[in-house]
Amino acid sequence: MKGELKELKFTVNGEAYELKVKPKTLLVDLLRKELKLTGTKQGCLTSACGACTVIIDGKAVKSCSILALQANGHEVTTIEGVADGDKLHPIQEAFIEHGAVECGFCTPGRVMSAKALLDENPTPTREEIREVMQSNLCADEGYVKYIEAVEIAAKKMQGGS
Amino acid sequence: MAKQEEYSVIGHPMPRVDAKVKATGEAKYAADIELPDMLWGKVKRSPYAHARILNIDTSKAERLPGVKAVTTGKDFGGFKWGWLGTTRDEEPLAVTKVRYIYEGVAAVAAIDEDIAEEACELIEVEYESLPGLFDPFEAMQEGAPLVHEDCLGNITSEYHWNFGDVEKAFAESYLVREDNFKTPRMAKGYIEPPAIVAYWPDSNHLTVWAAKGSPYFPYRILGRCFNLPLNKVRIIQPFIGADFGGTKNDMVNGDFAAVMLAKKTGKPVKIVYTQFEELTTCTRRHPVWITIKTGVTKDGKLKAIQTKVVADGGAYTRMSPLSLYLMGVCLTLPYELPNFKTDAYCVFTNNPSSAAMRGHGIYHTRFAADVQMDMIAEELGIDPVEIRLRNAIENPKPGEIYHTVNNLTVGSCGVKECIEKTAEAINWQERKEAEKIDGSVARGLGFAAGTYLSGARLTGHNACAAVVRVCEDGTVNLLTGASDVGQGSDTVMSAIVAEVLGLELKDVEIKRVDTDYTPADPGSFGSRVTIYAGEATKRAAEDAKRQLLEFAARQFDVSPEEVDIKDKKAFVKIDYSKSMPWWRLVRLACYTTPGNVIIGHGVSTRGVGRVPDFDTGGGDIGASYSFTAEANEVEVDLETGVVKCTDNSVIAHDCGLPLNPTAVETQVQGGAYHQGVAAALYEEFKMDKGLTVNPNLVDYKRPRAYEAPMTKVIHVITNDPFGPFGAKEASEGSCCTAPPAVINAIHDATGVWIKELPAQPEKVFWALKEKRGKEQR
Amino acid sequence: MIKDFEYFAPKTVEEALSLLSQYKEEAKIIAGGQSLLVVMRQGLLALEYLLDVKGISALDYINYDDGDGLRIGALTTHRAIEKSLIIQRHFKVLSEMERNLATVQTRNWGTIGGNLCHGDPAGDPAPVFIALKAKLKLASLGGERIIDVEEFSKDYLEVALEPDEMLVEIQVPTPPPHTGTAYEKLMVMKGDMGIVGAAVSITLSPGDGVCQDARIALSNAASVPLRAGEAERQLIGKVINDDLLAKAGEVASVEADLTADVHGSAEYRREMVKVFVRRAARRALEEARAE
Repeated sequence: MKGELKELKFTVNGEAYELKVKPKTLLVDLLRKELKLTGTKQGCLTSACGACTVIIDGKAVKSCSILALQANGHEVTTIEGVADGDKLHPIQEAFIEHGAVECGFCTPGRVMSAKALLDENPTPTREEIREVMQSNLCADEGYVKYIEAVEIAAKKMQGGS
Repeated sequence: MAKQEEYSVIGHPMPRVDAKVKATGEAKYAADIELPDMLWGKVKRSPYAHARILNIDTSKAERLPGVKAVTTGKDFGGFKWGWLGTTRDEEPLAVTKVRYIYEGVAAVAAIDEDIAEEACELIEVEYESLPGLFDPFEAMQEGAPLVHEDCLGNITSEYHWNFGDVEKAFAESYLVREDNFKTPRMAKGYIEPPAIVAYWPDSNHLTVWAAKGSPYFPYRILGRCFNLPLNKVRIIQPFIGADFGGTKNDMVNGDFAAVMLAKKTGKPVKIVYTQFEELTTCTRRHPVWITIKTGVTKDGKLKAIQTKVVADGGAYTRMSPLSLYLMGVCLTLPYELPNFKTDAYCVFTNNPSSAAMRGHGIYHTRFAADVQMDMIAEELGIDPVEIRLRNAIENPKPGEIYHTVNNLTVGSCGVKECIEKTAEAINWQERKEAEKIDGSVARGLGFAAGTYLSGARLTGHNACAAVVRVCEDGTVNLLTGASDVGQGSDTVMSAIVAEVLGLELKDVEIKRVDTDYTPADPGSFGSRVTIYAGEATKRAAEDAKRQLLEFAARQFDVSPEEVDIKDKKAFVKIDYSKSMPWWRLVRLACYTTPGNVIIGHGVSTRGVGRVPDFDTGGGDIGASYSFTAEANEVEVDLETGVVKCTDNSVIAHDCGLPLNPTAVETQVQGGAYHQGVAAALYEEFKMDKGLTVNPNLVDYKRPRAYEAPMTKVIHVITNDPFGPFGAKEASEGSCCTAPPAVINAIHDATGVWIKELPAQPEKVFWALKEKRGKEQR
Repeated sequence: MIKDFEYFAPKTVEEALSLLSQYKEEAKIIAGGQSLLVVMRQGLLALEYLLDVKGISALDYINYDDGDGLRIGALTTHRAIEKSLIIQRHFKVLSEMERNLATVQTRNWGTIGGNLCHGDPAGDPAPVFIALKAKLKLASLGGERIIDVEEFSKDYLEVALEPDEMLVEIQVPTPPPHTGTAYEKLMVMKGDMGIVGAAVSITLSPGDGVCQDARIALSNAASVPLRAGEAERQLIGKVINDDLLAKAGEVASVEADLTADVHGSAEYRREMVKVFVRRAARRALEEARAE
């Protein structure tokens, strides 16, 4: 039947969920409206702004362009799952310390993109950072502090200072 | 005045007070707010640009299961709103006539968003289509249809100012040039679309959470609209996903609709605009046609500027009178200009409304004037940096004031230093002489200088207030009505309190605006928050300090003048042995006098007084003026017309004293890029008879990380006499210098002048082709 | 607003094909959905049944041998193609093309098969595959058939899939020696859909450097990814020089069926076809010569 609820089993930030979901539900809506994980933002709904970026199985993806049911069996990480309790992730620390956060609306998506990048490629070139960040539109910060913050975080994660 | 290094908090780079919650996703924006039993609303919109509304039938929508209420414009009892009392021309939802495509005509509240949208489709509206006006020059012609029946000629506002004697000056000039320029319709560019949650706890009280950069606008407008005394209107400000003027300053159809639907249902109603709604209906930057005539001496000194400015204001007045004013008033800065004349018109059309946007007004005419300055420099054979240095206003000596011909008062002006430092940092001389062409790519370097008003001075309510409350453990709460919309003002306000009270930044907690508790405030616009809310905050902290000094004096048995507080310690100035830790001083002050509370309050005074007179162009629009110089390098693909900024990009910015240098840098880089380079090369709404044909962030090009220059920011410190701690506005000026710098760079690379922004590939391509054609003839 | 539909998530190709044979036109396949969901969110596409094939892991592979050439499972992500060492070694043009296809986040989830089946003439993979003489394997319960990529697109957003068929594999033959292939598109911003684009493959005969074979395919220059046969014939059998490259561009621009859009007039886009055919052909030629 149209609209019939389907079962969704997946993990979000390490926690297992079993839910019944309307098939048309987008992952971003499920995260925000059902799971109340509002750190993931909804900006454009046309796959253009990157504010809704989350990580699925280690890869950054746009949660506005994925059906919730497509996350079945996968591991989803949202901004709420990045810090380790009170201990911020080095990317978050670098964003804060280096002045890469302004209005903050795009920040969660950017942190997720940066995390997926550095998890896969701990020593990216500036070119590679720009390539990954091309997905995350910002309105007020001119990308300079942001690119530098990712570089700082990469160094920090490599054990540098 | 104290030097930067004498301050312990301000003037030093500091992380923002709200950065952590933003980086963890904890920060709540309007769309993140959810209340029990909350309904979702949606706005029904007009497909016509100009049409009479004959009938609205909502019965089918009302019968759709899940629908809880429907509202139309008639529910608002004839209420109209506008920026000024005299410009109230817009209805919450259109009642008799729609004036632009997708204007709201009705709205629905339902148990979920999809049902609300489906119900909107069931609302039947009968229209009688009217001839539309989409071009301001057509709209100004005699016999043109009227957008507003009571506004003959469709003129929103017009100014005719005349300072000095331009005719005489032109006659005496060695060279007079007249050129036409155009700036396009631009999106505000924030990622967070308008959103609101409205709730009536009881029938006499309204509570609203909304993405509003200036929450006291909806406070007053909704109070009037719903006949509520202001002590029953509560606007609570969540975090704001950037603003840039216009839409988030004032109202959208959805705001009124949500409040009305919440009233009808007794439940909270949430309306979140889609990006499509944002990009089709919310206010844009005015498209402006500028004719600029400039006379100079043989050595390039400006003698006179005369402009004719026509702006497309769109369907409603909004802030257009101010926008138009700003397009003229600051042309007398940052260069010495003895004669200035302007005729300016803003015109109603059936396009979506235009309004304020970062770099408000000044951006348009600075683009025209600073590109034309390069044209003049070329004709006279003067280097672009040199011609600017010859014209730049000198920094007034301490205690002196520079007056422009239209009576702007400038207490500090670092433009000369900005120009020199920028030229040096970009290696101007060396790079200008470098090889330009490499295969199909041409490189060029461009320069510009500019200004921005610091703390808009307007009629009506223009003062800020602050309350500093010292808690018994020595920590401090700060209340202001000022809004941090991303620019970092919460951090700067907290830093001011910490500086005055000798505390650390972490000891101060600033509350976000809640109109039930925070003092009324005009809002976040006109680069005013640091200047006016900063002044109020400083005074409030000083007031609290005074109370504590008086108490400490009694403890030390000296007079208050003999005591000071620094580094979390109160002490007698001439006898350091008499001292007391801050926390102990506060505890004693609160406890030994029963019921004592330490509350300091402060009000700004700079924003009132000689406010501008729109009719004559007189008065002072800013408390002070910031200055900027910028150099950008571009690469032009000669075969395609694609222009890209390289990482060679420098801005020097005189914001008096950067209270938080990190934030100033980020702001300047952002302004120069998002509203500067993006405006120069990429962004434009394309229109077809009032319809926005690129209403998404794929077809409306906003450049991103890959296209971003790694702009270097140089701080030029002038310690302005009028701002708190010598500060002036930061970064709005940076939006205004990038477009001329980039266009001048394209000319340096290719020899073509792009006089209509943006320099999108096709425009550059044909210009290059035309130039080659001419050269071959 | 997305309209309701019934959802199936087949785990095998057989399961998917039997659902397709049952629901035919009423069913729509979603893979990564990076294009489809944009259309659905705009309410432009209402459907009864959605078959989510993203989970069919058997169609996620990249295989190569010198004889058979390259085999890409239809559900391989763009990012996997971009990052594949095999592809970087033997089909560099594919990896390069992917690097400018939208953004990393889209390439992480979007699939190559989904892209081709969406049938957008502005898509990047189809013209590159056409230049590479690639074929598609289409499967139904009745069996499999193989068609040229060139034959696959029928019209704007319309492809040659029968209602009970799905794309399962892309087959790219190993190019003959002394072949170079390149793709260039006009982007205003990195990752943009090309205002126009051109994929060119050139094979030189080893001794005299004469162009043995040439393939030219255009993106966003007609209602389908367009093979510019006349332009190819300008090059075949000749020793290519700059004038011939320019000529090929000229001819391709006449073959193209261009209209104005929000990013450019028809005239401008025609000029750009000339430029981008020339640019892609020049790079292809250099690569062919370098081999």
